[in-house]
Parts: sequence; structure tokens; C-alpha cells
Amino acid sequence: MSSIEFSLDPASGVPTYLQIVHQVEHALRLGSLELGDQLPRVKDVVASLAINPNTVAKAYRELETKGLTVGRPGQGTFIQSTLNPVALPELTVLRRSLLGWLATADTAGLDEEGIVALFTSVLRDFRERQGGSSTRPVAARDASEGVA
Amino acid sequence: MTALTMPAQPKRDASRRPVPWRRMAWVTWRQQRLTVAGLVTVLGAVSLYLLFIGQQARSFSGVAGHSLTLTAALFQVIPALVGAFVGAPVLAKELETGTFRYTWTQGFGRARWTVATLAPLAVAVTVLAGVVGFLFSWCYSPLIGGHYGSNLLDGNTFDLHGVAFAAWTLTAFSIGLLAGILIRRVIPAMLATMVAWSGLAVVTGVFLRPHYEAPLVSSKPTLPSTDWVMSQWWTRGGKPVSSSAIDQVLQKAGATVNGGSVTQSPGSALGNMSPTQYLLHHGFTHFQSYQPASRFWPFQWIEGGWLFALSLLLMGTAVWLVHRRAA
Amino acid sequence: MNVIEATGLGKRYGSTWALRECSMAIPAGHVVALVGPNGAGKTTLLNLAVGLTAPSAGTVTVLGGTRAGSPAARDGIAFVAQDAPLHKNLSVADMLHLTRNLNLHFDQGYAETRLAELAIPLNRKAGKLSGGQQAQLALTLALSRRPQLLVLDEPMASLDPLARHDFMATVMAAVADDGVSVVLSSHALAELERVADYLVILSNGAVQVAGEVDDLLACHRVLSGPDAEANRYADHLDVVHALHSKAQTHLLIRTGESADPVPPGWKARPISLEELALAYLREPDAASLPGPSRARHLEPTEVAR
Repeated sequence: MSSIEFSLDPASGVPTYLQIVHQVEHALRLGSLELGDQLPRVKDVVASLAINPNTVAKAYRELETKGLTVGRPGQGTFIQSTLNPVALPELTVLRRSLLGWLATADTAGLDEEGIVALFTSVLRDFRERQGGSSTRPVAARDASEGVA
Repeated sequence: MTALTMPAQPKRDASRRPVPWRRMAWVTWRQQRLTVAGLVTVLGAVSLYLLFIGQQARSFSGVAGHSLTLTAALFQVIPALVGAFVGAPVLAKELETGTFRYTWTQGFGRARWTVATLAPLAVAVTVLAGVVGFLFSWCYSPLIGGHYGSNLLDGNTFDLHGVAFAAWTLTAFSIGLLAGILIRRVIPAMLATMVAWSGLAVVTGVFLRPHYEAPLVSSKPTLPSTDWVMSQWWTRGGKPVSSSAIDQVLQKAGATVNGGSVTQSPGSALGNMSPTQYLLHHGFTHFQSYQPASRFWPFQWIEGGWLFALSLLLMGTAVWLVHRRAA
Repeated sequence: MNVIEATGLGKRYGSTWALRECSMAIPAGHVVALVGPNGAGKTTLLNLAVGLTAPSAGTVTVLGGTRAGSPAARDGIAFVAQDAPLHKNLSVADMLHLTRNLNLHFDQGYAETRLAELAIPLNRKAGKLSGGQQAQLALTLALSRRPQLLVLDEPMASLDPLARHDFMATVMAAVADDGVSVVLSSHALAELERVADYLVILSNGAVQVAGEVDDLLACHRVLSGPDAEANRYADHLDVVHALHSKAQTHLLIRTGESADPVPPGWKARPISLEELALAYLREPDAASLPGPSRARHLEPTEVAR
């Protein structure tokens, strides 16, 4: 019984390797993947999903770059660190403040697309200021560059 | 590729040693076994029949001779059928079904595959046909000179004897093989094989065989019936006389010639003589050109020889074509 | 090493050139998708690469310079033609035996294990297997030869979706295990995106696009903006294909190494492999080949649809 079963959504527009990365991160967040768990072998992923092994390799490399996994030669890829789940009270506080901000934005006349665009742009600035990669979960897609 | 993939190629030294020929033994057997079984069955049945008839011929020549003459006509089609059913499908079937895209991309190579497939079949065809041919000769020998047994060199039976029969069958096989690679479809290749072989057989019998050696000329009135008379003519005083002139002379003597028969009117000058004797008495000389029966075996070897060379040429061409263009 | 290298390759049937001036260098270690409309020359190119036919012009070498069709080339390349040709009246075990006898290398253990996994009985006649099973058998025979290059000519054309998935899963597992290079021609563009990491588009017998999928996707994007401004930007952008409507124009452009800034008022988005292939197939004069980029500037009237 493998530690995680990947499934792909070909219509989502998200590159395959990223979907795999996200699914591992999601599992880490949910706690279904724990420290020391082994990710499925490339061959097994490829045999069940019928995708190019390079794609899986790319996903595993990305996870390793993020520090989430480590590859042991001859053995496989193992979970090295977990994503610290945010504690429930903190989450509630964050939720409430976000709702407040959304209400303000709505009053100012921003529609949903505008809100998403503004948020994405500010998030990018924030990351740039933080400098380089971090092990914090990053939800933004690598995709769009130009924004109206 | 990254470290996550494991290269595991076996060491390749293909350029130094090709796939051994003996591997094809099983392949050819497995792919051709039905054909070979059919060939053995049919020619085996024919052989048994000949054995039976041969026994009869040595006891009551009358009945045997009659049935043998009839079956001789049927035997003529055996080489053509062998060529069509054994030779044509070898290449045509691979091309028609598309399996050549599998067979000819394997390590063994397509020219070598063709040679390894046709060689055992060619040998089988020749040997079995040779057996049938020699059985026919054995069967036929008591009848030579008798009422049914006319002459050995006669086109009706010459190519059914030993060497010639084997050679004609091998030739049909090679024609089939070549037709297969040229036409690429089984049924059309089979038909083309039979037509081409028949054409070659007719041309050989009519134009080639009479001239293997220069025919002898004799002025003897009669020749042994085992000799093959090819043509005859009359001369008088050294000059040839046309057959219409002969007819006139006979008419003056009171005998009318209708086609092949001569009717004598009463009181004709012929009396008790046959027209031939009458003419000989009156200064006419009768010449015949013929091939003596003693030339039977030399002719068999001549015919067998050039047919064998032709077969090799056709088979070689087929292999060359396979090598040159498959798709 | 290049698994297939063609220089000025051409093939003529009678007076028609099925392939002409075809030049490409496909690197090893990739899964290559060969795409093109019917009659573009895909099957001809593959037949030339596996040695089933000889070129009318130019040369083609395989596996790092070996002559196509030579014994060394035949030993290292396994070919599954369209509709997976097999000897229909031979049993599965006979087909294994046949393949083993016709090749220097044959992994009997792999073949038997694989067929057992697929639940294909060894004593059944090949002709009595289902379409999917026949394709899997042909693939197993090919992979049992442990080739360096696997060539597949429209392998999934007559397979149902489940059989297609299983077929590609087998191929991908072999790539993961053995590092075998794969060249497959196919019409199913959407499925190719998941498996291919190198793309070759053939159009009218010539190579139109050749390159790694990641690179191709990175240097193409779709710009969407007002129709009125389209012509102004179309002049100095390398536009592959344009789609006009009253309000908007979508330009599929090819960028250089560095991404050009997006013109104000325009949106840019990345492109899928299927979109890329379709766009090039619709524009036979466009090309995207490795080497100096071939910029193509559209006349405004050319673009109108």
C-alpha cells in the first residue's frame, strides 16, 4: 500500500509536475504524509499514471529544492520535513481579518478578479522582499505573468 | 535522465556477430509447416498412385497404359500448383498481411530471412518432385514402344520424367517466389505464377526442346516409334516437292487424298501398294527429321540444367528485391 | 547521442515526394512525439529510420551514427508498426519463441512476467486476442528485446481509452526502468502532453517544429488584446498564429531567450502542447526549429480569418 496515490487533472492547465508537488504538499498539510514516509517510486507513479518519468523526476526535484523531501541513492525519496500546520486559534484570527479586508475591497469596487490580481501582486512583492525560497507553503501558481 | 532511472542495457556487440542461421530452422518450420504437410500429402498420394499403376502396368499393360496416359495430362498441372501454393505465399503473405513490418525489422534481417525460408522449401519441393518424376519413369517404361507409349520425347510426357519434373517444379516455385515480391498479394501472385509457368512450359515444348541438339535426318521409310519425328518432306531428284504436288501425283494414280486419309478408286495404279511405297517406286525420296530415342536422357539433363539455372536466377532476384525495397 | 539523425532526407514514391529536405537530430533519453496530418510523412520517416525502406535523397542514421537498417541498427531498435502486426495463427508462446529466435537479445523472463501481469494466456492464438491485448503483446515482444530505441507508429489508433492508458503506462514504465528512448507518432495531441518531452511536427513532408517540450512551451505564449492594436504589435513580434474576433485578438507568439515585456492593455498566458501543435499545423509556413530562430512577420491581411 503506497503512501500516497497521485491523481491528475489534465484539464486544469496546471503543469503535471506541479500537480504532483501540490498533492504532496496537500498531504503533508493534512498529515496523511509524515516525516520519514517514502514517496512512491518513479516507476510505480509512471506505471499507474502513464506519464513521462522525467515529469515525476522534476516534481521530486522540486520537492527536494523546497526542502520537503530528501533522496537517498538506491533507496528512494523520503519526507524530510513537514509543513507546520498553523494552529486553529491563529487560523480563526487570520480568517476574520481576511474577511474584513475583503469587505473593504468590495466596498472600494474591486470585483473578484481584481481582488485575486491585487492579492497575487502583493504576495509576489512580499516573497521578493523575504528573499529566496522558504519552506512555507506557497499557493500561487507559476503561471500567469502579465496582468491587466 | 536523472539518477532515478536505471539504465540496464545489455552489452551490444551486434556488429560483430549476426544472428546464427540455425535459429531460423524452428522459425521456417513453424511458419511453413502447413505448406510442407500439404506438399508431402499431395505428392505422397501421387507417388502411391504411381506405385499402384506401375504394378498394374507390369501385369496387364492395356488398362494401365490407358489410365496413365490420361493422368499424364493431369500431372502436368502439379508443378504449376506447387509453384502457386508453396512458392507464391512465402513472400506475398508477409506483404499482404503486413507482418513484414514485424518480421523484417527483427535482428535477423530480411534478405537472410528470405534465404533461410526459401532454401528448405526449395530442397523439399525438388526432392519430392524428383521422387514423383522417377516413379513416373519407372511406371512408364513398360509402355514405351507399345500402343499407348508413343515416344519418350513427346511433349505430353517428357517433362513428367525424373529430372525434368523436379526442375519444372523448382522453376514453378521460384516463379511463385518472385511473383510474391512483385505483386505483394497472395491470390494474384498465385494466378500470375500459374500463367507464367504455363507460358514458359508451352514455349519450351514448342520452340526450345526440339533444338537442344540438331535433329537427325533420315531417308529410311520407317523409324522406330520411340523416336520423335518432328517433320517430314518429299524430294525428287534432289529437289523438294511440295505436299500439294504429291497429292496431284497420287490423284493421277487414282488415289484421292482427303486430309490424312487416302481413298483408292478401283483400278488405280496403286494396286496393293500404299501411297508411300508407290511414291518411293517412282523416284520420290522421303525424308524425316527426328530426334532419336537415345537422346532422351541427354535432353532431360539439358532441360533440367537450364531450368535449374533459371530457378537460381529467379530466387536470387527475389532475394535481391527483398533486400532493396521492402516498404 | 542522437537516436535519429536525418540530413536532407527525402523519399519519393513514383513522382510524389512523401518526405523532402527533412533534417533533424533527435537526442537520446527522450520520449519523442511525432505529430502531423495524414500524409505528412510520419510513417515514411519511421520506415526509413527502422530500415524498412531506403531514402531517395539524403541520409538517415540511428543510435549515434549507425546506418539505418544495418544489423547493428536492427539490433538496437524495436519497431511496432500500425495495428501491431503479429502472425495471427501463431500462439502467444510461439510469437515469443519466434522473436527470441530472430534476435540476439531477448529477455524471456521479462516477457513471461509481463504477459502474466496482463493476463494474456500463452497458448492462445494471437489472432484471438482483443485489440488491446494484441497491442500489448506486440509491445511486450518489442520491449523484451531490450532495445535502445522503441519506435511506435500510431500504436493506439485502434485502442479504446483504457487500453490506450495501459499501453502508455507500459511504455513509460520501460522508460523509467531501462532508459529506453521512444519515438511515437500519434494523432492524440491531448494525450501526448503527458508523455512527450520532445516534439517533432511534420507537415507536407518537411520538419516544421523540433525541440524539447519544456523549451517550446517556455518560448511560446498567447497574447490577448484589443483587435485594433493587433497589427501594430504583430509587425515586430514573431507571430505564429492569430485568432481574430470583434473585441479581441489572440496572438500566439514565439519569444526569444528573454521574455519580451507584455504590451500595456494586453494579457499573456502560457500555452499547452496541444494548442501549440494545432497552431503550427494550421500555419504550414511557420516553423520552430533549433538554431537561429526564424522570425516570421505577418502581413495584416494574412492574419485575417
